[in-house]
Amino acid sequence: MILKLLENKRLTIGLLVVFMLIYPFLVGNSNYFMTLFVITCIYAITSMSLNLLIGYGGQISVGHAGFLTVGGYSVAILSSTVGLPFFLALPLAGIMTGSIGLLIGLPAVRLKGHFLAVATLGFGLSIPQIVLNWDGLTGGYSGLAVTKPLMFGSDFSLFYVFVVITVIITWLIQNIVKSSLGRAFIAIRDSEVAAQAIGINISFYKTTMFVISSFFTGIAGGIYGYWVGFVSPNDFIITNSFLVLAMIVVGGLASIPGSIIGAVLFSVIPHFTDSYIGITNIVIGIAVVLIILFKPDGIVSLFKMNKQKLVKPAGKGELLVQGGEKENANI
Amino acid sequence: MQIIVSGLIFGCIYGLAALGLVLIYKTTDLVNFAQGEMAMVTTFVSFTFLSQFEMGYTTSFLLALLFAAVFGAIVHQGIMKRLQSAPPLNQLVVTLGLFMVFNGLAGLIWGHKPAGYPQAIKGDSIKMGSVFFTPNEIFVMGITLTLMLIFFVIFRYTKVGLAMRASAQDIKASQLMGIKVTNVFTATWAVGAILGGVAGMMTAPITFLDTHMMFDVLIMAFAAAVLGGFLSLPGAVVGGLIIGVFENLIAFYLSPELKLVYTFLLIIIVLYIRPQGIFGGTQSVKKV
Amino acid sequence: MLTFNDITVQFGGLTAVNSLSFEVPKGQIYSIIGPNGAGKTTVFNCISRFYTPSKGSILFNGEDLIKYKPHQIINKGIARSFQNVELFTKMTVMENLLTGLHPLLKKNIFPIALNLPSVKRMEKDARDQAYEVMDLLNITDLANEKVSNLSFGFQKMVDIGRAMIVNPQLILLDEPVAGMNPIETEKISELILRLKNELGYTVLLIEHDMSLVMKVSDAVTVMNFGKKISEGTPAEVQNDPVVIEAYLGEVETHVAAK
Repeated sequence: MILKLLENKRLTIGLLVVFMLIYPFLVGNSNYFMTLFVITCIYAITSMSLNLLIGYGGQISVGHAGFLTVGGYSVAILSSTVGLPFFLALPLAGIMTGSIGLLIGLPAVRLKGHFLAVATLGFGLSIPQIVLNWDGLTGGYSGLAVTKPLMFGSDFSLFYVFVVITVIITWLIQNIVKSSLGRAFIAIRDSEVAAQAIGINISFYKTTMFVISSFFTGIAGGIYGYWVGFVSPNDFIITNSFLVLAMIVVGGLASIPGSIIGAVLFSVIPHFTDSYIGITNIVIGIAVVLIILFKPDGIVSLFKMNKQKLVKPAGKGELLVQGGEKENANI
Repeated sequence: MQIIVSGLIFGCIYGLAALGLVLIYKTTDLVNFAQGEMAMVTTFVSFTFLSQFEMGYTTSFLLALLFAAVFGAIVHQGIMKRLQSAPPLNQLVVTLGLFMVFNGLAGLIWGHKPAGYPQAIKGDSIKMGSVFFTPNEIFVMGITLTLMLIFFVIFRYTKVGLAMRASAQDIKASQLMGIKVTNVFTATWAVGAILGGVAGMMTAPITFLDTHMMFDVLIMAFAAAVLGGFLSLPGAVVGGLIIGVFENLIAFYLSPELKLVYTFLLIIIVLYIRPQGIFGGTQSVKKV
Repeated sequence: MLTFNDITVQFGGLTAVNSLSFEVPKGQIYSIIGPNGAGKTTVFNCISRFYTPSKGSILFNGEDLIKYKPHQIINKGIARSFQNVELFTKMTVMENLLTGLHPLLKKNIFPIALNLPSVKRMEKDARDQAYEVMDLLNITDLANEKVSNLSFGFQKMVDIGRAMIVNPQLILLDEPVAGMNPIETEKISELILRLKNELGYTVLLIEHDMSLVMKVSDAVTVMNFGKKISEGTPAEVQNDPVVIEAYLGEVETHVAAK
């Protein structure tokens, strides 16, 4: 019944928006719960960006937390060291992270599967090390403070700004994956040969995917910096990259709602398990294993199944051949 | 010279772990991210034998390897078997999930405090030419080379190896030929876990025993496997040696903090020039 | 329109195509036939620029194609279908066709991300175009079906439709009726003739099915072991003793076996 109701897109989105608007009041303006919500937004943006790259484009990245770190430090440097205002610093952080994404994307274009995985893994591992050792710019171990924007006096209004930004980014990414650009990404994932034959420049679009994905992830990192007011080298390490990867597979590959579901799930689990040391990893790990064993297409497939039954035209059985679906991403 | 030699020692450990990764990948087409954590658990088990039950090193070592074999087999039979035909990304993420479970469980059981772990062979350093070796280092090198040779021979020249190679190429055809593919895969997981366990027990004396000790080794093993082309057993070991030496040279001459960064830079450069790795065959052009 | 000048393709020591020359005149259906492994698909892969010949030139409207990359070929007016169907399996029929329109659509990220009216309009026009092609192929009712759910015959249709949607000057068809039943074959041969007569395409065809080749072709080149062994009208080729010896014998057994 609830599943049926959630299929109504407008209703679901409307409910979500109302929930986000009243959330601070629900939790009594508690700083802890507002932070939990913002962290969820950050992971939602990151997992949508990663899903664009992996789920839609078929290009693996196991180092996406590196882009979060770059975004966070960009905001710190731009706001504190350079002194730029919020509305300049945040998009600039995205652009700076996007440029790093371009640098990573250029060699990554030549690599496939495990080779790409190890290259991006190296990136994710290296960023914290570089940040740690580039004292002059990053403050090394001690991290950097982020100047909070004065125009929104309290965390309360900042919360709404970030919610609005998250909603806008969701809309932008949704538009991109539904467009000719998104189709080019999927085409590359499904058949590079056919993609080239219909005029898709593979290297260009692979690089573009990396740039778009890292741009939005950089913004997410920037949101983190502004919300916490402080960035340090170990905020986002390689295990965070793994976590985002788990989010998109568990939520659902090539699905924006799936990315969000995964992000919510894995951001909220630690809230319930944190009081027992070491349990968080076990619970998340078991959740990952179980969901993939029993719902290989992710949680989002729970919703889609009912839908497909409705869409399938009746009486066309003889034309339809049950074909095995091709593998998703070339990893 | 001394730097190169100690690099080779680390390289041997990376090579061993990489050998386990490549063996599993070559046969079952799956990258096992939980490999390092399984090795860590095995090492803890051997430590329990050593300290709680006060057994000798050799007994503990062998019992731990037995445990590793069973452990690997259970993981395959219980979980990975069901994912044989799942998309590769799903398989990878499941091994990441297992990684987190094993890490959390080990922390619960053995705690998070690092402990000292004995070397296989104690004794004073021996001087050969201008280089000092400890007997333990010689043991590490010896065991790596032996294991590599053994697996190379098994894979190449025995019936079991043939079954493994056949299953890797075509599951259906192998089944039709009477090979019990699932059993072959389970055995491969057992062997992979043993190799990881050996690497773990070689690592522990150098890094101390704790739940995170195998993480760096796994990363480097992964890198070594990729450098070697991901399909070549000798390639994995050679990749491990190259990375071990390179890492040590960077740590000594440039910056110990950034050795990881430089190592990955090296790998990315190598892969940019040869996208299929050093020992990888020529890239196949897809036929249309 | 398309000229092969002394093309040689080698893989290692193996010569797949050996000094091949032929010319496809504008507005004709030109077929290449030959036994398996004769190098026919290699010819297509040279035109698509997946392979680079070690010798020779490929002229299209007087311009050498060798200097272009695979994704640039379609902008020259050459589209192709694939022997084993290379569709985007998780997309619907509609989405596959829309993806085929890629070269003609604007891809500027900013209007796309903001979903501006210009993008919406372009998308609507693209859909109309896709429906036109589906009408022509008689598959309109499958528009929203995932291609992985379709039978092989329909997948082939979609593959051809995806090549047609950009309105190419030359269309390369790689064994369009392989694996099809006689009724489907009949439909495809009608379609190929319509491509020539109604849409004015030039067609370069690789095919095993001799009845189709003989029915639709204006000219035929016969290949064996990478070499051209005969060329001419279907009737001429059919009666060429060299061809009969090298190829038709095999085909007869092939047909008999069916």
